[in-house]
Amino acid sequence: MTTATAVSAGPMEYLKTIGVTTNQSGRGFINPYDCGFTNDGRIMVLNHADAARTALIRIGVLNWDEEYLGEFSKGTGRGEGQWTLPIGMTISNDQRIHVTDEHLHRVTVFDTDGDFVRMWGEKGDGAGQLNGPAGVAVAADGTVYVAEQYNHRVQVFTSEGEPVSIWGEFGDGDGQFNMPWGLALDTTGNVYVADWRNDRIQKFTKDGQHLTTYGSSGTGDGEFSRPSAVAVDSEGYIYVADWGNERIQLLDSDGHFIQSLRGQATLSKWAQDFMSVNPDEYNTRQIANLVPDLPDHLDTPYLISAQTEPYFWGPVSLRLDPEERLFVVEANRHRIQVYQRRKD
Amino acid sequence: MSNADIALMAHLMRRAGFGATRDELEQLVGQGYENVVENLLNPGDAGVMPDDVIRRYHSEMAEMRELNSAGAYWMYRMVTTRNQLEEKLALFWHGLFATGYSKLNQANALVNQITTFRRHSLGSYKTMLVELSKDPAMIIWLDNHDNHRDNINENYGRELLELFSMGVGNYTEDDIKECARAFTGWTLGNVEYMSTRASRDSIWPYSRINWHFNYRDYDHDDGEKTFLGHTGNFNGEDIIDIIVQQEATARFVCTRLFQFFAADDVNEAGEAVISDMMATYFASEYEIRSVMRTLFNSDYFRSEESRFARVKGPVELVVGAVRMAGTYQEPTFGADQLARQAMYMGQGIFQPPSVEGWHEGAEWIDSGALVERVNFVGRELGDPSNPGVRAIIDRMSRQSAGALSPEEQVSACADLIGPLELSEGTFTSIREFASEQGPADLRDGSRTEADEQRIANLLRLLTATREYQLA
Repeated sequence: MTTATAVSAGPMEYLKTIGVTTNQSGRGFINPYDCGFTNDGRIMVLNHADAARTALIRIGVLNWDEEYLGEFSKGTGRGEGQWTLPIGMTISNDQRIHVTDEHLHRVTVFDTDGDFVRMWGEKGDGAGQLNGPAGVAVAADGTVYVAEQYNHRVQVFTSEGEPVSIWGEFGDGDGQFNMPWGLALDTTGNVYVADWRNDRIQKFTKDGQHLTTYGSSGTGDGEFSRPSAVAVDSEGYIYVADWGNERIQLLDSDGHFIQSLRGQATLSKWAQDFMSVNPDEYNTRQIANLVPDLPDHLDTPYLISAQTEPYFWGPVSLRLDPEERLFVVEANRHRIQVYQRRKD
Repeated sequence: MSNADIALMAHLMRRAGFGATRDELEQLVGQGYENVVENLLNPGDAGVMPDDVIRRYHSEMAEMRELNSAGAYWMYRMVTTRNQLEEKLALFWHGLFATGYSKLNQANALVNQITTFRRHSLGSYKTMLVELSKDPAMIIWLDNHDNHRDNINENYGRELLELFSMGVGNYTEDDIKECARAFTGWTLGNVEYMSTRASRDSIWPYSRINWHFNYRDYDHDDGEKTFLGHTGNFNGEDIIDIIVQQEATARFVCTRLFQFFAADDVNEAGEAVISDMMATYFASEYEIRSVMRTLFNSDYFRSEESRFARVKGPVELVVGAVRMAGTYQEPTFGADQLARQAMYMGQGIFQPPSVEGWHEGAEWIDSGALVERVNFVGRELGDPSNPGVRAIIDRMSRQSAGALSPEEQVSACADLIGPLELSEGTFTSIREFASEQGPADLRDGSRTEADEQRIANLLRLLTATREYQLA
């Protein structure tokens, strides 16, 4: 029998799960890929959907009490504010929502009412051009950082979208990348990049000077398999979405391993609503073991997560809200698990 | 390297796989026919498009919720694999052990079923049947989760004998009941919850939970059973051990393999090959690898008589065209179209029309399906910007001493797309089209986009011929 790695002891505490699957507009998520927080307490969730259901792409709006406040979408296409395969999202200090689209190769900026502000980028490898933009972060001064998966680089823009600088190239040396995905900034402006296919996190100064590298390929503590996202809290603790291992790892500010999380989702408020009107499903669920022992051939983190509902399955983004609660966005389970580091 | 060698290797690769480009054929001919057969039978690293890259780009293939995305995920593998026989056999087993999404509402379980087929496709048929009986998708598809110690459900037991091994006329109704009793307790983990979800296909809170096999000892009928003249306290494995010893089983599986890989219709010469395959089946203790070796190395299979004796199935056609065109080598927006196209042609992956699978051979072709076949393949091979089409044009360019006449254009295209053996009527019709287009000068310095498009137009036209529809 295959058994999953247990959640290790540590300071991370599970708070709750947000979301529910939907196949239509309205309350619920469809392949969420990122989230962000506005100054007035709203939570914005980027719903990626997929190529066959681009009409469902949208940003859903809710609050911590899981009240669904609405959604906005400019529809599918190449026009202003429209999207095809949106991947990354962040909300800047001046309350601008930045969304990357890996199919349209551009960054689009909205205000928090969902109105289009500006966009930039086209497919290419020159300055100002993008190829597979993924993770996006905005510094306090408005500087925008974009990870480009197919150009294997980070490109820096002004808040108006003017190209400033480019770092990196394909490779596995310091400062090189292989299909980078998520990126994050710490309080001093250093840039952390989830160097996805190199199985590591790289840390840079805000000007692109390589500082250090965390992790290597593997399944052990402090090792990664295709990390998709990284977040850094006010005390420098580093959170990594270890996508290929279907887990979250907590590192200290020097990159030392502290804790691994495999996921412990419970029914969200919306999921409880669903169960309350589907009693036959609820009753059979009550006698089910949702963390079952599995046959030996189901032995990869992906296969285990596909069979084990509380575990992370497709953790694609990590975001810290103003209270430093960690939001783990799970694309395959259409939900967000929320944790918080205990500060003893 | 003779044209006969190329033609024979092309035949082998159309049947054991999805076809090969001319560059690939030349490389394979250099290895020798028997060595190529052995390599097909003993696959190494498949070199397929990596799962991580697919899942990053295709959220729908990471979650594997939607039917055509799951089909396209498999087709990515068919399109990029170096182990063509492995995938072709998986397609064969999918047709033989036909399991459909409509009753499962669970594409991920079907993808896992194909993985099981791949894992056992060249091994023991006995092992294959045991693993099939444990396969969660099959358990739900044929109701074995409703087969209980005190209340049997015969559905799986009946189809195991009728459609997966012996065929009607080789067992009794009592054998079916005893078979079903032996498979009581073979079910899914959390079966009550999972079967509720499968039957309702409601919008589940956190999407699908995939399935795994679970044996419930307390729900298994351990009493004495008499099956095909054998008596004992049989469990499922014991029943399969008896089944695979039957001559009817050997004939069944060898005939189905022959019809899928050699010829739609079995003639006297084909019967002799099936007899040899059956002898190998028993001598090798039911090993499919050995059976396939007997087939591929037979004089019949290698003869011209067996060439173009099968109608390409829709999946074969789509995958073959895409491999030849060199497209879909990386994650591609809208890749689910691959699965949809095969469905429009009559073969929806994971959507067999019934538990009997698809009716193959000439039944693949009707006027509607033919239009879909011609349109899709024509788009793939009629676009000179596609890498495989460009490779064909480049090869013709290297071989050109001057502007190519209409005859030369048609002959070269038919050769490089197959080689196809065109009837006189087909050749004449396409030559007339080529004459209307005019000469094509592909030499460096002379070659224009219009020249390239003329060749692509001919390739497109060739895909509409009767000859191209046959494997």
